[in-house]
Amino acid sequence: MSSVLSVLSVDKDSPMAIYDVIVVGAGAGGGVVAGVLAEAGKRVLLIERGRSLTFEQVGRDHLRNHRLAHYGHNTGPDLEGNPRVFVDQRGNKHVVQPHHPGYNNNAAAVGGGTLVYGAQAWRFLPQDFRMASTYGVPPGSSLADWPISYEDLAPFYERAEWEIGVAGESDASATIWPRSRPYPMPALPANAQGRAMRRGADALGWPVLTPPLLINTTPYGGRPACIRCQHCVGFACPVDAKNGTHNTLIARALATGRCHLLTGATVERVEVSAAGHVTGVAYIDAEGERRTARAEVVVLAAGAIETARLLLNSTSARFPHGLGNTHDQVGRHLQGHYYPGVSALMPEPVHDGLGPGVATATVRFNHGNDGVVGGGMLADEFVTLPIIFWKRYLPPDVPRWGLDAKRFMREGYRRFVRITGPVQDIPSPSARVTLDPQVRDRFGLRVARLSGTTHPETVRTAAFMFERAREWLIAAGAERVWGEPPGLGLSAGQHQAGTCRMGDDPRTSVVDPWCRVHGHDNLYVADASVHVTNGGFNPVLTVMALAFRTAAHIVGSW
Amino acid sequence: MLTDTQLATLRAALDRIIPPDDFPGAWEAGVGDYILRQLGGDLADQLETYRAGLDGLDYEALAASGRPFAELPAEAQDELLRRIERGEAQSPWPVDAADFFRMLCEHAAEGFYSDPGNGGNRDGVAWRMIGFEVRG
Repeated sequence: MSSVLSVLSVDKDSPMAIYDVIVVGAGAGGGVVAGVLAEAGKRVLLIERGRSLTFEQVGRDHLRNHRLAHYGHNTGPDLEGNPRVFVDQRGNKHVVQPHHPGYNNNAAAVGGGTLVYGAQAWRFLPQDFRMASTYGVPPGSSLADWPISYEDLAPFYERAEWEIGVAGESDASATIWPRSRPYPMPALPANAQGRAMRRGADALGWPVLTPPLLINTTPYGGRPACIRCQHCVGFACPVDAKNGTHNTLIARALATGRCHLLTGATVERVEVSAAGHVTGVAYIDAEGERRTARAEVVVLAAGAIETARLLLNSTSARFPHGLGNTHDQVGRHLQGHYYPGVSALMPEPVHDGLGPGVATATVRFNHGNDGVVGGGMLADEFVTLPIIFWKRYLPPDVPRWGLDAKRFMREGYRRFVRITGPVQDIPSPSARVTLDPQVRDRFGLRVARLSGTTHPETVRTAAFMFERAREWLIAAGAERVWGEPPGLGLSAGQHQAGTCRMGDDPRTSVVDPWCRVHGHDNLYVADASVHVTNGGFNPVLTVMALAFRTAAHIVGSW
Repeated sequence: MLTDTQLATLRAALDRIIPPDDFPGAWEAGVGDYILRQLGGDLADQLETYRAGLDGLDYEALAASGRPFAELPAEAQDELLRRIERGEAQSPWPVDAADFFRMLCEHAAEGFYSDPGNGGNRDGVAWRMIGFEVRG
């Protein structure tokens, strides 16, 4: 994918360049904003610290990807020079690299996580926007309602589904979500694993559906249909059937000639006038040169951790605690999802190699669980790479060496299935992103420090969901099941959210209902930072929908 | 990187960790190549541990039977490895014996079950064994 220079390109001899809008981060949200604004006639600078990566560049290294990053990963950020600090529950501080679990990374590349995700394309449910009204507020938690409703977002979910491309069971979805239009593409036919799980759900009387996916099941958007490979989640798509923002809205933005995509560039601060009016950003380009770009509007979409970090780093005499942070809310309520996975061996092989793998889901337990706050979607898993199966999912009594171990892999791999799903975090104000007082990155910038945990109520909900997963597998005829429910921890990772929460009240939120940062008339956030709560679903479609809505608002109020 | 003796010990230990049956064992499948490549790269900080651990296995074998580890019969090698897995080294090792063995098992699996691009799993033989087929 080539970069089309905009009318106003960055001139290296002149450190200033002027745009209508600067978008920081070319991921799920930033890509959508850039596309909508460029097509609306705005001159856009889209700055991304990662690079444009082809399928070949991402590769298929089973030890270095976004499912197993033990030795590294297959996108940005670079392992060297980009540390974070993770504070564990005993208060010990760890300086971590992007491939360490405590870093809570998401892929840095053009397209962000959407380049390599598993592409599950769920809408949040109406109650997900009203968690406090529905459940009350567990003491010590920061459970809260969104200031907007599902109905406010529904037209934009629809835009995301059609303009980025989602395949799903329209009729089944319509029994669960109020929706106006079907999905543009039909769901993938089930694989053997999905059929086995469906039989189990039927035995329990649980309604199920095929997870909607941001993947072409027919030719769409000028790109072919999925070939059902075995390397979906964690890798780029070999035939470009996986829909992200890099191959949809960002490509459209570049095609207008009005969007300049700057890769390998890191924004170090958002610049403001003394009155709080944002004037642009200061960034370090791919050659390490410090530059400034000016714009009428700045949109931050660097992900919940980096967007919070950027706001906190943007200090000045008038804003000594960073931007949007007058009430110490920036970086708080960090959320992701717990995954209460249960593993099983089926009596017969269920692996037929038909990817992506995830085929049967239930949303029956997202809400309405007696005595439990929230819940989450449950589904079977993406095709499990062999080394991941060995490292993470062997039954506890299977030896790790010897002939028995080898025979177990030989006989067990194709009979393995796992049920898991994102449990809705009950947020805590103590789960937060701050700036580490000491550690600096390769540019001398203060780095993100992650600390705290979700509220303990999340552990209860996860334990409940663990039992449902177990129940499902047993009903499906599993020969044996194993696993441990998750314990209390910090939740962020690839579903990171919550650090610039949306709200009407500037004392308890960072952005207003249009995702504009309180106190600044021209600064917006367009990533999952704005999520008040993070649903019991993969959050990316919600990020995209909010970005469509925010971008439309920016255009409409220009 | 490793002496001939250490290499022989490594080969013998790996072939007990993933023994040959009607499918190749670890060494034939290229697990040694995987580990040596990693010791020159991402596992460079484990090279001293590997040297100490392999020397340790040999020392245990010599102390128990008068023969180096690579020359013991398979059953005796397994028995020694089971002891080491429990942390029951008979001599003091400069590294934790059980941790070393656990790491060796982990690296053996990585070399056997990951993609051939990492140097092991020669011709995808481990994937054929378990039924993981890459189609597209």
